[in-house]
Amino acid sequence: MASLPGTALPEEYVSDVYEMPEQVTLWQDAWRRVRRNKLALVGTTIIGILVLTAVVSVFWTPYPVWKQAVGPTYAGISAQHWLGLDASGRDIFSRIMGGALISLQVGVGTMLIVSAIGIVMGLLAGFYRGAIDAVISLAINIWYGIPDLLVVILLVLLFGRSLANIAFAIAITRWMDMARLVRGQTFALREREFVEAARSTGTRNLVIIARHIFPNALGPILVQATYAVPQAILFEAFLSYLGLGVPPPTPSWGAMAADGFHALELAPHIVLAPAIALSLTLMAFNFVGDGLRDALDPRMRR
Amino acid sequence: MAEGETVGIVGESGSGKSVTALSLLRLVPEPGRVVDGHVMFRSADVLKMDHEELREFRGSDVAMIFQDPMSSMNPVLRVGFQIEEAMDAHQRFTHKQAKERIVPMLETVRIPAAGQRAKDYPHQFSGGMRQRAMIAMGLSNEPSLLIADEPTTALDVTVQASIIELLRDLNRERGMAIILITHNLAVVASLCTRVIVMYAGRIVESGTTRQIFNSPQHPYTWSLLRSLPRVDELKHDRLLNIRGLPPDMTNLPTGCKFHPRCRFRVERCFREEPPLEEVDPGQLARCWVLMRNALKDEDHD
Amino acid sequence: MTRGTLIYIVQRLLLISFTAIAISSIVFIGEHALLPGDAFVSERPHNPRELAMLLHHFHLDLPLPQQYQVWVTGVLHGDLGESLVNRGVQITPLLVRELGTSAELGAAALVFTVGLGLLLGLFAALKQNTWIDYVASSTAVVGYSMPSFVIATVLVLLTGKLLYIWTNGAFYYEIGWGKPTQILVPAIALGFPYASIVARLTRASMLEVIRQDYVRTAWAKGLRPRIVIIRHALRNALIPVVTILGPLATGILTGVVVIENIFGIPGLGKEFIDSILNRDYNIVIGVFTFYAALVGLVNLGVDLLYPVLDPRIRY
Repeated sequence: MASLPGTALPEEYVSDVYEMPEQVTLWQDAWRRVRRNKLALVGTTIIGILVLTAVVSVFWTPYPVWKQAVGPTYAGISAQHWLGLDASGRDIFSRIMGGALISLQVGVGTMLIVSAIGIVMGLLAGFYRGAIDAVISLAINIWYGIPDLLVVILLVLLFGRSLANIAFAIAITRWMDMARLVRGQTFALREREFVEAARSTGTRNLVIIARHIFPNALGPILVQATYAVPQAILFEAFLSYLGLGVPPPTPSWGAMAADGFHALELAPHIVLAPAIALSLTLMAFNFVGDGLRDALDPRMRR
Repeated sequence: MAEGETVGIVGESGSGKSVTALSLLRLVPEPGRVVDGHVMFRSADVLKMDHEELREFRGSDVAMIFQDPMSSMNPVLRVGFQIEEAMDAHQRFTHKQAKERIVPMLETVRIPAAGQRAKDYPHQFSGGMRQRAMIAMGLSNEPSLLIADEPTTALDVTVQASIIELLRDLNRERGMAIILITHNLAVVASLCTRVIVMYAGRIVESGTTRQIFNSPQHPYTWSLLRSLPRVDELKHDRLLNIRGLPPDMTNLPTGCKFHPRCRFRVERCFREEPPLEEVDPGQLARCWVLMRNALKDEDHD
Repeated sequence: MTRGTLIYIVQRLLLISFTAIAISSIVFIGEHALLPGDAFVSERPHNPRELAMLLHHFHLDLPLPQQYQVWVTGVLHGDLGESLVNRGVQITPLLVRELGTSAELGAAALVFTVGLGLLLGLFAALKQNTWIDYVASSTAVVGYSMPSFVIATVLVLLTGKLLYIWTNGAFYYEIGWGKPTQILVPAIALGFPYASIVARLTRASMLEVIRQDYVRTAWAKGLRPRIVIIRHALRNALIPVVTILGPLATGILTGVVVIENIFGIPGLGKEFIDSILNRDYNIVIGVFTFYAALVGLVNLGVDLLYPVLDPRIRY
């Protein structure tokens, strides 16, 4: 900016002009925003409690989870049995703790498998395009037409009612959401200048994908993964409600709710305990997912 | 404003010109509010109208068109329909008349194949045609005043000229007053008889186009004019630019709001904000120094 | 209906048929390969000749590829075979009847979902940050975090026990099917979580649309508030909502399985569970075919809704 003689700004006005705002990375900014989101914090707390409960349940529960007749059946809430007893006289509080472990295992397990399949498919389809994309996209579209609950039930019955099978079965029917998301992200990121720059220096494709594209897509992937957990937990709850989940006496909240349905009027606590546990868990994950999504949304920068 | 007058409001982005125009129709977006003052339209205060009066006022007495015609039109409704509904909302034309006026309105704004175009959607129009369609929407109820908020900013230069020409013809043929908001001085010169210059949310100068262009009194106006390249000047001096950036409206300087960027300021400018005063018949300026004094004292160009 | 749209519909119908048959084929092969003799395990007919006759009648004594051929031919003629357990019962008419039931339930749930969701979302957006907004938004968040069987339980408790008490025995809700009022509770239980999703999305979408330039233009034209909100704002705000309508409908169709089982509703969902537990594999395969076709058709319907709302989309 040319300065004419005799018009230099006095010292105290030089800073009038412009101040650079503090530089933050996307992650620092996101972290700050998540911290401010109260619902997300509540959700995180609940998840923390859940994880703690699940871990503790491996080593200790007030009563053995499988033991029947530790007291009168259908007993209500009392000092010895914090959540009462179910139709077979099992301690509900202990079973809720055990159920937490099951839900967490299914939720996280399914999420990991879904992420593995979905991310790989998405990256391949989005990056290489052409025939590979055509095939994968066709697979995605076809898979969407599959009635997921039916297939999962069938798979579980055919291959056995174990946690691992359930997780795999759910993942096989639900990988498409992650794949579609990653594919979309890859499509967009592929056209960015830094990819072009990397390519011009001769970087190999796989390295570009791993080092440039994947990290930049991580935000939405994380959000989707966070949502995948409650989806899986819900699925498992449906399964066990229908009596097709993990076999008893392993406690599962869905199965517990189903067991208590017939006694709804005289002993509602049998259904309410797992119902509330389920709802809180699902809500917590959804809140955290929402919080992450808002925090990573570039449009909402302050 | 006088009947049929054309006024230009000039200023940088953030000078408050759009907000001023929006407040004329009480369209200031939340959380903004009009706190004080009057907007007089033929002896009625717009700010005191109730909702029904205001609704009648908008679109029929005074119409407004906006900067980006693509985002200013509803993408899922046909253009002809959007013009028709502007008329249906008011009493001037019956429904039947409204339907019949669609195509003539499009023709008035010089859109070719108007009959076919009326059935198209906004995304099927080109930029210039979209803006013409917006103008047609504004004109449809034959308003006394058209407020045009940067109507040419989003368009190509060649298209700009045709839009301005259209506005000029409309003003001449229909006696419709126009308020033109822009940051482009050239456009103002070709269309407006009076000019208002705004800075930091305040009017800093106003007068006829001739006065403003030939003898601007406020340093800001003067600097704006000095920064325009002129083909007709013999000497080829460096273009002057105004150093610094527009002020942050939440953190305004003390005294005159322009002083941090002003070459001609004196000590008083730091302390007191000057009032808007008449410096010549019909010309107002908000400055302690005034260009005619500044240019006498110092030896600038 | 343009030529492009027609081609698109045909393509989708082909894809649906292909998917339905493909899925059923996989199930067919899976079942017959992995569980060959199980079909009549529970019955153990008394003499081996009867067993051989049954096996022959159902083509189970043929090698797998031939069984498949017989089955596919049947399917292409619309014949899904006969029930293994309730012999003599033709599957196709049975499933068609049950399809009608499930479709009724699903449709009711969908109407409830969209209706309630749009209303909640609209009011929450218009009265942003007032108590109406908070109540609506909180209801929505709780809503989609509760599995439909939990909501069903709560509703059954409310309508069964409490309603009875409050009206001194005048009203009593019976779980079952047949009376027109009996569709209410299952439909609400089924649709409530999804209504919440619709509400949240509608709210977010409306909030964004209301700030758009074309809404400002509508106000500047002096249009009536109702017209601005509905014709300009809502119409555009609905577009993202229609996007999720497909997955939403699919989700409802999934939930149908659980709800039908809770309430004993004789639809495809209940049939599926019953048949699986009864090992009536022929019906199981048939259910898959119907279900896949249903999901595909619903999604196609939603996709065709798109151009109606947004003329920028054309196939």
